[in-house]
Amino acid sequence: MTTLTLTPVKNPPQVRATTGATGPTNKRSTTSTLVLLVGALYCLLPVAWVLIASTKSAGELFSSFTFAPSTHLWDNIQDLSAYRGGLFWRWMANTALYAGVGALLSVIVSAMAGYGLAKFSFAGKKAIFNVILAGVLVPGVVLAIPQYLLLAQVGLTNTYWSVLLPSIISPYGIYLARIYAAASVPDDVLEAARTDGASEARIFTRISVPMMVPGLVTVFLFQFVAIWNNYMLPFIMLGNDRLFPITVGLSGLLNQGASQPAMYTAVITGALLSIIPLIALFLLLQRYWQVDLAAGAVKA
Amino acid sequence: MTVQTPTTSARPARRRSGRFAPYVYLAPAMTLFTLFLALPIGYAIYLSFRSVKVSGLGLGKGARTEVWAGFSNYSRALTDPDFISSVIRVGIYGLILVPTMLGLALLFALLLDSRRTRGRGFSRVSIFLPYAVPAVIASLLWGFLYLPRVSPFYYVFDKLGWDVPDVLSSPWIIFAIANIGLWGGVGFNMIVIYTALKAIPTELYEAARLDGASEVAIAWRIKIPVVMPSLILTFLFSMIATLQVFAEPMTLKPLTNTISSTWSPLMKVYRDAFTRDDIYSAAATSVIIAVATFALSFGFLRLVQRRAFSQENS
Amino acid sequence: MRLQSGIRVAAVVAATALLATGCTSGDDDSTTPSAGASTTEKAAKVDLTFWTWAPGMDEVVAAWNAANPDIHVTVNKQDGGDPAVTKLLTAIKAGSGAPDLMQTEYQKIPTLVAADALADIKGDVSDDLSSHFADGTWQSVTLGGDAVYGIPQDSGPMEFYYREDIFKKYDLKVPTTWAEYADVAAELHKKDPKAYLGTFSATDAGWFTGLTQQAGASWWGIDGDAWSVDIDSAASQKVASYWGDLVEKGVIDNKPMYTPEWNAALNDGTQAGWVSAIWAPGVLAGNAADTQGKWKMAPMPQWNAGDDATGNWGGSATSVTSQSKHAEAAAKFAEWMNTSQDAVNILVSKGGLYPADLPAQAQALSEPPAFFPNQPDFYTTATDIAKSVQPFTYGPNVNVAFSAYNDEFGKAAESKKAADFLTALTAMQKTTVDDLKNSGFNVKE
Repeated sequence: MTTLTLTPVKNPPQVRATTGATGPTNKRSTTSTLVLLVGALYCLLPVAWVLIASTKSAGELFSSFTFAPSTHLWDNIQDLSAYRGGLFWRWMANTALYAGVGALLSVIVSAMAGYGLAKFSFAGKKAIFNVILAGVLVPGVVLAIPQYLLLAQVGLTNTYWSVLLPSIISPYGIYLARIYAAASVPDDVLEAARTDGASEARIFTRISVPMMVPGLVTVFLFQFVAIWNNYMLPFIMLGNDRLFPITVGLSGLLNQGASQPAMYTAVITGALLSIIPLIALFLLLQRYWQVDLAAGAVKA
Repeated sequence: MTVQTPTTSARPARRRSGRFAPYVYLAPAMTLFTLFLALPIGYAIYLSFRSVKVSGLGLGKGARTEVWAGFSNYSRALTDPDFISSVIRVGIYGLILVPTMLGLALLFALLLDSRRTRGRGFSRVSIFLPYAVPAVIASLLWGFLYLPRVSPFYYVFDKLGWDVPDVLSSPWIIFAIANIGLWGGVGFNMIVIYTALKAIPTELYEAARLDGASEVAIAWRIKIPVVMPSLILTFLFSMIATLQVFAEPMTLKPLTNTISSTWSPLMKVYRDAFTRDDIYSAAATSVIIAVATFALSFGFLRLVQRRAFSQENS
Repeated sequence: MRLQSGIRVAAVVAATALLATGCTSGDDDSTTPSAGASTTEKAAKVDLTFWTWAPGMDEVVAAWNAANPDIHVTVNKQDGGDPAVTKLLTAIKAGSGAPDLMQTEYQKIPTLVAADALADIKGDVSDDLSSHFADGTWQSVTLGGDAVYGIPQDSGPMEFYYREDIFKKYDLKVPTTWAEYADVAAELHKKDPKAYLGTFSATDAGWFTGLTQQAGASWWGIDGDAWSVDIDSAASQKVASYWGDLVEKGVIDNKPMYTPEWNAALNDGTQAGWVSAIWAPGVLAGNAADTQGKWKMAPMPQWNAGDDATGNWGGSATSVTSQSKHAEAAAKFAEWMNTSQDAVNILVSKGGLYPADLPAQAQALSEPPAFFPNQPDFYTTATDIAKSVQPFTYGPNVNVAFSAYNDEFGKAAESKKAADFLTALTAMQKTTVDDLKNSGFNVKE
C-alpha cells in the first residue's frame, strides 16, 4: 500500500501556474480546433437529443424523426408536474437535499481528515490513510445491502438519514483533500501561527481552510455529482416514494411492470429537468475545475 | 467542540494539544468510515461464509436456517463459468475503453492547453458536461440512439443506403457499452490531465519553443512526461471503475438479447443478491472482486512506480 | 448478528400473537368499508403503508381513507415486479422496514412465503372469500394449503391482439390455431418485409410461461414433501421449438418487447399483432395512442383446432407482510379493495385492471376499454376466455428460473436457431433444479 501513498504526494505541481495560455499568439491550427470541436459535439449529441425528445408528445416520440423538435415541452413538464400531486418536484428537492447537504458535510469531514493526514505526523497515520484509500476499491453495489441490514438495527432505514449519513464518508474526497492540503498550506505558515500562540482550531479555520478553498470546492463538486448519480443506496434504503431522489424516481417510471406502458415521455422530460441544475452548477463553478491542483501551490 | 477552546493560556500545553490535534481532525472521518464502510464490509465478509439451508418444501415458518458455509460460496463463485466469462468480458471491455478514454482525454487536454486551438472554453464545458449525467440516465439516452428504429444515426445510414449492423447485437454490444463509459468519463479525465498541464511552468518549454521545436514535439517530449503521474492515477481509477462496470449494461439489458444477467462481475453480484435472494454468494463474489481490484491496483502501482518518479524528477 | 436474529424472533413472535388475536376477532361483514372498520377497530387510529405499482391505487385508497378515518392507508409507489420483491426480502432479512401491505405478483408468492415474508390472513378475512374467485386464482394465494397469503386483485388471461386495418389491407385471416398463426406470420412478412406478426421476447419470462401454460405445462409441482420441476417438459418443448422455428425462418421478430423500438413498431404498424393479456389495452393506449380503434382482440391461437385453452400473464394479489403490526386492519382493507363493488369499479375505471373478483366483474366490466371502441363485446369475449386458463403451479425459485430464461433464451433468440431454443429450455431446467438442491429444498426428479 505504501506505493499508493507515495505517488500522489509526489504529484502536486511544484510551481504556480502562469496565466492560462501564455506567450505570443501563434498561428491558429484548424486541425486541432476541429478535433476538439468534434469531441465537443460527440459529448453534446445525447444532450441535444434529450432536449429535442422532451419537446415531443408520446405519439411523436416514436413516430417522428428523432432530431425534429416539436412543441410539447411545456405540456410534458405540466404532465410530469401533475404526476401523483407533484411528486417529481419533491424528488428534485430530495436530490438537492441529499447531494447538497451530503456534499457539504462530506467536504467538512474530508477537509478535516485530509488536513490532519497531510500536516501532522502521528502514530498510525500511514495505516489510517491506507485503510481509507482501500475504501475506494469497494463498489457501492456491494455495500448497499450490508448497510441496509445494519441501519435497520437502529431503525434508520426509510429515512432521510439512511441516504445522507453513508454519503458523507468519501475516501476519494479525503484523498483529494489530503493532496490539496499538502499542496496549498505551507508548513512554515503553520509553524509561524503556532509560535504566535494560535490554537489548532483557529489555525485550521482561519488559515488552512481559506488556503484550501479552491480544492475543497472541487471536492464538493465531486461528492455532489457522486451523490446525485447514486442509485443503489437510496433504492435499497427507501420504501417511501416521497423520500426518493430523482434517479430512483425516474427509474420507477420506466419499470412499471409488464402490464403498463413505460412512461418514456415523462422519463425523458424528467431527465432533462434533472440535468439542468447540474449544468448550472458546473457553469457557475467551472473555474474551480481548472484551478484545483495548481492553486496556491507555491511550494509543497 | 473541544477544538474550539481558547488557547491563550494553553501555550505550555500546545505540544500536547498538538499531539492530539490530528486525531481530532480524523475523528469524524474515522467514525463515519467505521460505521458506514468498515462495519458493512466486515458484515459482508461474515455473510460470505454463511448460507441458508431450507428444509422440506421450505414453505412453513422456520423452514430456513442460516448456517456456516465455510468456503463453499467462494469455491462456487470461482468455478462458476458465468463468473469467469464475465471477468474475461470485462477485461476486454477495459482494454477497449481505458486506452481510448485516456488517449482522447490526453489529446483533448493537450489541445485545450495549446494556444493554437480556438473555442477552448466551449469545448471544455461541453466535453465535461456528460460527467454531470447519471449513468442510468446516460445509458437510457444512448439506448434510444442505439436502437435502429428510433435512432437518428440509423435513419441517416438508411437514407445513405448503408447497411450498418445493429450495435446492440452480439459482437458490437461491448463497444456500445464502452462508448457510454467513454462518453461519461472522457471529460473528467481530460480535466484532471488539463489541470496538471496548466501547472507546468512555461519556462520548461519556452526554451524548446525558441529552439524551434514543434508543438507536437513539445507535447511529446515535455508535457506528457510531466503529467505522467496524473495519467497513472487516472489510469488506476479508470481501471477500478472498469472492473465495477454495472449501471450501463444493467440499463441496456432490457433493450437487447445480448446482455446476460451476468454480463459483468457486479451484475452477477446484483443477480445473486437481488434476483436470487442469495446475499451469501453475492457477498463472496464481492469479496473476490474487491481483493482482485486491490491486487491489480497494487501490482500496477509497483510496476509503474519507478518510472513515474524518475520522470517527475527529470 | 445475534441482535439481528433476536429481533427477528421477536418480530415472528409478535406477528404470531397478532395473528392469534386476529383469528378470534375475525368477522365476515367487511364488504363495505365503514362496516369493516367500525366493528373491529377501536378508537386508536391505524396507519398502514402499501407498496404497489399498479395504476389507480391512489384513487382506490383515497376512497377507502375517506370512508375509514380509523384506518389510514398510504400508497408508496415502487418499481414494478422484481425490485419491489427485492426490497421486501431485504426488509424481512433485516427484521424491519417492510410495509404493511404489498402488491404480490402470483408467481412471486411461493418465493415470498418461503422467505416468511407474508402473513397468513385466513383468520382476518370472510369465510366465503374463496367463492369470489376462480379456483385457479384462489389456489395461487393459498398454494393449495389452508393458509391465505393474499387477496387476488387482478388476473391476466392471455389473448391475441391484432391490427384489424393491416389484416384487411393484406387480406389476412385471423389465426385460430398456432399452425395458422405461423402461416399468417409468413404471409404478412412476405407482403411487407418490414412487418411482423409478433416477436419472441427473451426478456419477458412471464409471457413465455403463459404460452407453455396454454400448452399444458406446469413448471413446478408439489409431490409429498418434495418439489418437482418440469420446465423441460414435452409441452414446453413444443412451444419453444415452435417459436424457435418462426425466429429461424425470420417470419417473426426476435427483439424484446417493452423497448422504445418495440413502441415505435406498434406505432408504425410493423408489429401488426401481439400475443398478450387482458391488460393490453392500457399498454397500447400508453405506447401507441394514435392507433386507437385499429386493434382487435381474439382468443389465443390453439394447438389443436377446436380447443379452448389459454395461459395467464401477469396479475397480482394484495398481501399482508409478516412484519405488519396491524395485520387485521390490513386484511380488512385488502379484502375491501379487491372484493367490494365500489373498489372494483375504481380498479377497472382508473386502473384498467381486469378484476379477479367474479361477482363484481359484471357491473365493473360493462363498457369496453376506451381504446377498443370498435369491439363493444370486448369484456364479454374476455370473460369467456378467462374461464379457459389452464392450471399452473409456481415454485419457490421462480426468480431463478425467470432470470435463467432471460439469459438462455436471449442467446437462442440472438442465434436465430430453432435447436438453440430447446437447449435453452434444458439449461433453464438444470439451473432451476440446481438452485433448489443447493438451497436444501427436497427435490423429486
